[in-house]
Amino acid sequence: MNESEPGSIACHACDLLVEVSSLKTGQSAICPRCGHFLTAKRQDAHSKVLSYSLAALVALLVAISFPFLSFSSGGLESVMTLPQTPRMIWEYGLPAVAIMVAAFIILIPAATLLMLLFLCLPLHFGRWAPWIKTMGRWVFHLQNWAMVEVFIIGVIVSLVKIAKMATVSLGLSFWGYVAFSILFTLAIAALDRYQVWTEIEALETTHG
Amino acid sequence: MVDTHGVTARSRGLASCHACLKLVPVGTHHCPRCGSPMHLREVDSLQRCVALLITACILYIPANLLPIMYTDQLGSTEASTIIGGVVLLIKLGSIPIAAIIFIASVMVPSGKLIAMFYLVWSVRSKSQLSPRQRTLLYRTTEFMGKWSMVDVFVVAILVALVHLGGLLVIRPGYAALSFAGVVIVTMIAAEVFDSRLIWDALEGDSDYSKT
Ligand SMILES: [Zn+2]
Repeated sequence: MNESEPGSIACHACDLLVEVSSLKTGQSAICPRCGHFLTAKRQDAHSKVLSYSLAALVALLVAISFPFLSFSSGGLESVMTLPQTPRMIWEYGLPAVAIMVAAFIILIPAATLLMLLFLCLPLHFGRWAPWIKTMGRWVFHLQNWAMVEVFIIGVIVSLVKIAKMATVSLGLSFWGYVAFSILFTLAIAALDRYQVWTEIEALETTHG
Repeated sequence: MVDTHGVTARSRGLASCHACLKLVPVGTHHCPRCGSPMHLREVDSLQRCVALLITACILYIPANLLPIMYTDQLGSTEASTIIGGVVLLIKLGSIPIAAIIFIASVMVPSGKLIAMFYLVWSVRSKSQLSPRQRTLLYRTTEFMGKWSMVDVFVVAILVALVHLGGLLVIRPGYAALSFAGVVIVTMIAAEVFDSRLIWDALEGDSDYSKT
């Protein structure tokens, strides 16, 4: 049996062993055999993750608090807020769809952002926290189930579908959600699984 | 970045932790770094993947046959299916949006099912495509998965937005449920499929079912 190889990654897509210990800040590594992304070493990764995540959470608060879209025809008007999107589907008798919609557009992205904060705050300040490993295990899996950018496309398609029926206007929350989706994507992109776990391991060693 | 002479982790007796990427000797039960259960390859990857794909195929039938939403306008109700929605958009002259919905709701889910069945089959058989091409096909499939939710979101948005008393109301249909099911089940199928199995065949050994 071999010892583990400290500076290597086994490509998750093809299992090739790739040595990455010589990677410099600003560089990223791609599997030479299958082209799969392996890792990237970025400058100030934690502070980027922290600032994007905090800003994204603020944008999400705006997105759930104000009118998202409003629709008027023949003197009547209806206004939609973001939380109403799953709630109305629930009231029409499709609770499973309501739960999925709420999870994919609000709950999972919000949970991901909170986990990013709880993961990167201790790493940033070099302090150990008992929840670090739990966050590190879950956050990378959870982020695959966030569908913020898909929802934006959904909004645009909806606008086109009903534009001929009535007057539709975009509310403050729509722009909040657009900002949220951009910041969320940036926060996720700033975090690298391999680098984070290398740091967690180093922190655990110094912590004792 | 140095390719260590085309050596795989498995051939060196190492397994990679799926959660934290740590390399540990094959046979270790839990990752010493993050505590996750360790497996050399996803357990029963192909069987679970096929079971999920069949489930998705079954759900795909009501998703296309049942209405995805109803429009109540001045006392008359109009039901529309996924394909009906695309046809309506073409009639409205919104060709780019019709194309988005057609790609997201028709081409991506069916293409994804076909691609995943092919990938599972190719692990055990001789394939025309190289492992690298198949890995690319897999990653594209994995990436495209969630974009099919667009149509479900559109229904959720329209239902929440359009309720003008007796004048105009949009209600969801059961196709929204089965279609959301198709998307989720195929996403899980893609997660369960272990693309390293494609490459294991190069080393001419079928030991991959062991943990
Ligand atoms: Zn690879």
